[in-house]
This record gives sequence, structure tokens and C-alpha cells, in this order.
Amino acid sequence: MSSAELRYPRPTLWADYVRAGAGVVLCGGPLVALNVNRWMALVLGAGLVLFILFLARTALRQRTRYVLAEDTLCADGPAGTLVEWRQLDRLKLSYFSTKRDRTGGWMQLAVGSAGSRTIKIDSALEGFYDIVERAARAAEVNGVALSAATRANLRSMGISVAGQEETV
Amino acid sequence: MLQYVIRRLLLMIPTLFVISLLVYIIIDMPPGDCVTSQIDELVARGDPDALKRADELRHLYGLDQSLMHRYFDWVGGVFRWDFGLSCQDTVPVKDLIGERIVLTLIMEASTIAFIWIVSFVIGVYAATHQYRVGDYVASFFGFIGLAVPNFLLALVLLYVGKVYFGLSIGGLMDAQYIEKPSSWGKTLSIMQHLIIPVIVIGTSGTAGMIRRLRANLLDELQKQYVVTGRAKGLSELRLLVKYPLRHAINPFVADIGHLLPEVISGSVIVSVVLSLPTTGPMLLGALRTQDVNLAATFLLLVAVLTVIGMLVSDLLLAALDPRIRFGSAEK
Repeated sequence: MSSAELRYPRPTLWADYVRAGAGVVLCGGPLVALNVNRWMALVLGAGLVLFILFLARTALRQRTRYVLAEDTLCADGPAGTLVEWRQLDRLKLSYFSTKRDRTGGWMQLAVGSAGSRTIKIDSALEGFYDIVERAARAAEVNGVALSAATRANLRSMGISVAGQEETV
Repeated sequence: MLQYVIRRLLLMIPTLFVISLLVYIIIDMPPGDCVTSQIDELVARGDPDALKRADELRHLYGLDQSLMHRYFDWVGGVFRWDFGLSCQDTVPVKDLIGERIVLTLIMEASTIAFIWIVSFVIGVYAATHQYRVGDYVASFFGFIGLAVPNFLLALVLLYVGKVYFGLSIGGLMDAQYIEKPSSWGKTLSIMQHLIIPVIVIGTSGTAGMIRRLRANLLDELQKQYVVTGRAKGLSELRLLVKYPLRHAINPFVADIGHLLPEVISGSVIVSVVLSLPTTGPMLLGALRTQDVNLAATFLLLVAVLTVIGMLVSDLLLAALDPRIRFGSAEK
């Protein structure tokens, strides 16, 4: 397998920039423009910090390229790291949705190998399925224990991991 | 998770803005304003300066301004914890709601804790003892709780307390502690007086939760993996706690958001009946007299609590069970 270079699509990144910007304006605006009560300032300040963190994370994503190879997954960017599939020791696949009926959501994959930081990627990333499939194969080979939620999410993507059947 | 929190927060902010706007407009909609009733009294008494006084009061409360102007003034004030003037004795709203908000929060928090603890214990018992006497008794009280209106239960308890036990149940503290600074005695008195309102308000919520938990747990207990576990010789307690209870508890967590507005709206009439110094009776009075600033402030605080409750329940659910539903995967 040759290596594949993957990035977050521009529309996704811009949507996140708009979200972060809207949050910064909505939380920071009153702090700057109004004589805010200190408790209210604390709440708005906490919101502002969150949105600034989100802005920083989006910028980081824009500067990061992910390289999927047969042996490794490399996050090449300012806070880059490398996951070796042979040493994979954690895999978590979560699903999030802001809707009541839990439709229209997105997946988040968290993978890490011994001695490396965890790489977290969202399903908006190009080639997300390939990464999940490779990670699931590595988890199968390494015998990594998967949570019930991760197993269910893998199944929904049509990926099965041998040796991870429901145990009681 | 950060992405999830950010998206939820971004939904929260416009939601609160729209709620506050709608609430403000709706309270102001009926003809007349909060000055009307005060002036009617002056006119009835034959006061020659009644109309002049009405103009002064309308200017004082900002009622001579447009609705939107008043709304944005009020919203701007919210950030400064200044909710404007109430028409009741021309007192700032923040001075009127101070202790009542604290007492209301204590009462609602106790009620929610009561609902959770009681319904969890009874719900699990009813599901694990299906069609036994305990299950029938729990179901019977569940239906009674659902069917009997809170205010009626409050009236019955008031009567029984007074006639059979000589107890005065109304209020949230003994008379000697009213408008006195916090003390150990006052705290103890509040805790004693909380018992009846918490039971009265919590009963209907408890009934609903027991039914839901029982139904969910029964569904889980009839699944194949439970049968397999039992066949493998797992103890009943371990078999219950390991998976079925974890899955059945999700609706419990999801209910946090719904519970709060339910409990708050359910407590209004009960607070009136039991003479509780909470926000309920004051809100009712404010709505009757079209005291827009006071009523809108209460309703905004309820909306904030509801939205925060929803956020907490969604975050807990996302953390507890980040699973896709197969229906949503197809979409």
C-alpha cells in the first residue's frame, strides 16, 4: 500500500472558522461593549476561551496533513505525531450529533500507539474510512480491547473486528 | 468533543435570544400595561392628578418608549445583572428576586434529587420483580402520582397535617427566620419545610421516571446476552449492573433537561397553595399585572436553566454512549 496524503476539506474548515468567529463575537462582544457584571463576565469569559481554543484547533487542522501508510499514520503539522499500527494500543470511535434524533452527526476517531500522543480526527477528513479500516485491522492484530460504542460505530461503517464479539 | 460542545453552545446563544424576545413580546401583548391597574385605583378614589401620575409612572418604567427599545434596554441590563424596575413598589427586579431565586434553586435541586433517587430505586425494583406484589404496588403508586394533580396533593397534605398532626406545613421556614440573615437554625428550618413541597412536586415526575426506567430495563433484561450471562452462571446483581442497567439509564440522563422546566412549571401552583416564598407566586403576580421586566426576568432564568440542563444531559449522553443509531447511519 502506498501512502496517502489527507487533509480536511476547505468548506469544513471555513465552516469551523465561521463557528469560532461567531462564538468569539457573541461572547467577547458584550465583554468589550458593555459594563458586564463579574459573574456574567466569568460565564462569557469561559465561553470566549472555549471558542478561542476551537479557533486554534481549526487553524491547527488547516496546517496539518495526515499521511496514511501501511505501517503508520502521521499527523504532519505544528502539533504533529506518529502512530505506528504495529504498536497501536488505543482506538476509540465515537459518534456525535447535535440533533435530538441523533441524525446528521459526525464520527471522531482517536488512535494512539505506545509512546505517542493520541491523534483525533473527524469524519470530515478526506479518506476517513480508510484510516478507520486500517486502525480496526491493527486493533484486531494487536488485540486492542474496544468499547461497545466503538464496536457499534465500526459495525455501522461496515467494518468488523474479529475477536471483539460481545462478551458477558 | 470540543466540536460538539462548540456546536451546542452556538445553538444555545440564539435560542436564548429568541426565547427572551418572544417572552418579552408576549407578556407585553395584552392591551394596557402595568400602570393601568394602579391608575384605575387612583381614578376610582377620585384623584384629580391620576392621569398626570400615569404619565410620570409610564416615563419612569420606560413604557413611553417603543417595545423594541425597552427590550434591548432590558437585554443590555441582563449582562449587568440589572433587570430594570418592577412595577411592584418601583423596586429594582434584582432586589425582588434575590432570596427567592436561591430558595427556588434549593427547592428544585432537592426535588430533582428526590425524583432521581426514588425513581431509580423503585424502577429497578419493579423491573427486576416483574408481576410480583412489589411491582404492582410501585405501579399503583406510579399511576396515582401521574393522575393526581400536584396542587390537590398539596391541599390534601395541608389538611392532613393541620387536622391530624397539628402541623402548619406552609412556607419554607419558620416565621422567626423570615428576612433574617443565614444561620444554622434557618438552614435547618428550611430543610424541615422542604420535605412536603419536594414530595408534592416530585411525585408526578417520579411516577413518569419509574415507568420509563422499568420499561427500558425490562426490554434489556429480555435480551439474549442476559440469558447467556445467566446460563454462564453470572450472579443476578452482576448481570444487572454490567450491561442492562447501563443501557437503561440513558433515558434517565436524557431526562435531566426535560425535568427542570417540568419541575419549575409544576411548582408554581404548589408554591401558591403552600405559600412558598419561591419565584412561582411572584411570577404569577407579575404576569397578572403585566410587570414585563419582572416576568420576563423569571422566564429568562427558567429558559437559561432549561438550556443548561439540556446541554448537561446532551454532554453526559455523548460521553456515556457515543454510539451511532443505525437509522441515522442510513440517513
